[in-house]
Amino acid sequence: MPDSEAGKLSFKLVYYGPAQSGKTTNLLRLHEQLSPELKGEMMTLETQDDRTLFFDLLPFGFRAPSGLLIKFRLFTVPGQVAHDGTRKAVLSRSDGVVFVADSDRAQETNNAESFQTLAENCSRVGLDFEHLPLVVQFNKRDLPTAVPEAEIRARWESAPWPLVFASALRGDGVEESFEALLRSTYRHYAESHELASRHGLDEDMFVAGALGRQAAP
Amino acid sequence: MSDNFDREWRLEELLDAAVLDRIGPALDGLLAGDVAIVGIDGTALWGVATGEGLREPLVLELEPVGYLHSRQAAQASLKAIRCLLEQLLRTQARYKMASNLHLEAVAEDFESLRLEHAKLQESEARYKALSADLENRVKAQIVQLEERQQMLYEAERLATVGQLAAGVAHEVNNPLGFVRSNLSTFQNYLGKFAQLKATLGEGEAAWRRLDLDFVLEDGQDLLTDTLKGIDRIARIVAELKSFSNVDRASEEFSDLNDSLHHAANVIEGQLPSGVSIRLNLLPLPGLVCLPGHINQMLLNLMRNAAQAIADAGRSGEVRVSSEADEEGITIRIQDNGVGMKPEQLARAFEPFYTTRPVGSGAGLGLSTVRNIVLAHSGRITLESEPDAGTTVTLFFPVPK
Repeated sequence: MPDSEAGKLSFKLVYYGPAQSGKTTNLLRLHEQLSPELKGEMMTLETQDDRTLFFDLLPFGFRAPSGLLIKFRLFTVPGQVAHDGTRKAVLSRSDGVVFVADSDRAQETNNAESFQTLAENCSRVGLDFEHLPLVVQFNKRDLPTAVPEAEIRARWESAPWPLVFASALRGDGVEESFEALLRSTYRHYAESHELASRHGLDEDMFVAGALGRQAAP
Repeated sequence: MSDNFDREWRLEELLDAAVLDRIGPALDGLLAGDVAIVGIDGTALWGVATGEGLREPLVLELEPVGYLHSRQAAQASLKAIRCLLEQLLRTQARYKMASNLHLEAVAEDFESLRLEHAKLQESEARYKALSADLENRVKAQIVQLEERQQMLYEAERLATVGQLAAGVAHEVNNPLGFVRSNLSTFQNYLGKFAQLKATLGEGEAAWRRLDLDFVLEDGQDLLTDTLKGIDRIARIVAELKSFSNVDRASEEFSDLNDSLHHAANVIEGQLPSGVSIRLNLLPLPGLVCLPGHINQMLLNLMRNAAQAIADAGRSGEVRVSSEADEEGITIRIQDNGVGMKPEQLARAFEPFYTTRPVGSGAGLGLSTVRNIVLAHSGRITLESEPDAGTTVTLFFPVPK
């Protein structure tokens, strides 16, 4: 459930995935690419050998026509297997998840295991995995060893989640992944938080506000 | 208040008293006391807010968490202080988030470990129970195997003894037959000698001289005795044959009193002097049993009882009683012989345990007895007092 205080609605969105799949890179790119009305500084907690130990946090937001502050707080989890306790704590209370998978063929097992822990951890921290807004991003498309897109699409065909191919290093697909998550998130929470009816915010405006684009007329 | 690491931190949490005590005087020094730090709700954390003059927001993420107030300070100075303060706030927030996240993660890890530990303990208990169960089953199997082995051994032995006895009986019966027949004929012949006396005439003197009257008379007595002896041998052989009927291994419906009579008859001829046997038998229901084995068992017990009295060096009585109730048949064989010491009693059923000199017994008597009792789903108990005697109680359940 998004945190709602007077005049403010705060969404916690989490980038989850195996170690070194590019979660932090996703956030860094978003910080560069997005130009929303309000953009905070990216907060990076301690790292060890350039790997996330606790989490990264990127806050940004915009104001709805009603004056409501829509705030997004994007977190990354530490991907290393050993930090499962931290991963669970970061995942707690999240309103949506981007699962960042590594396209490298050698990482297929790690992807599967990480996705498995996402499902398990969701139930451990009291999130409804079945209905949680979720986007699956296959990152590192630039790798020569990347599994072909057709193969991945075939494998995920029956899954209900949007599938996005990205190269966070080059900046491709990062915004697209986030937009897919914004749309799922809007559809999931719009009604319960009266986004359209009370705050005059439809899905396209929600996406445009978050990404800092002009809404399509 | 929630301790979640990812909540929005309030100014007064990040600037606690200890921090304010350190930075407040520094701020005062910079702006000559003309500065106030005010929370988002208007409460002054440091200095006095007047509502006049300049106001600079303090932003942690997106929106202000508080304000800097000053009446007369230069805007540039106030902005510079704001910049420094925000840096401090971010550092504080990072520190607080990291430590709270660490606590949450540790709690999560601890919870996971606790669950895992509980699961491990449960599985350990399961394995322990399983292991104990297996151990018991192995023990039970070993006991059963040992019993079966003993029974097999005994059955083999009994069969051998039976065959031997049957063979001996057969072989003894043949010569016995013609010896007896010959003796009867010879008795007739002696009658003829008696008739001879009447026709001897002058030979009568010679007859008297040779005392043939006595010879004839005594000869008759000797032959009568001999015949009695032969009859006894024949009877014993018949008993032996019937007793050793162990090759008749099929179960039969029989009366245990018959077996008791049988065994008593066999033992009677072998009782040491001064030892007698007395039967006190009440009517019993029939029992499906292996009569050969039952006979062997009762004979063993009676022989033990008689031997115990002989060992005590006094005269005595072996008392055998039988009775039945709804549950089953109880047989008691009681002697007033030497009895057993507790340590002997404890080992009495062990195969090859014997207190007798080497050569007088293999030490299989009681263990055989117990095996036979168990094979009939019965129970055997021993009560014994040194120098007072021993009572063996057998119980055989009767199916309802």
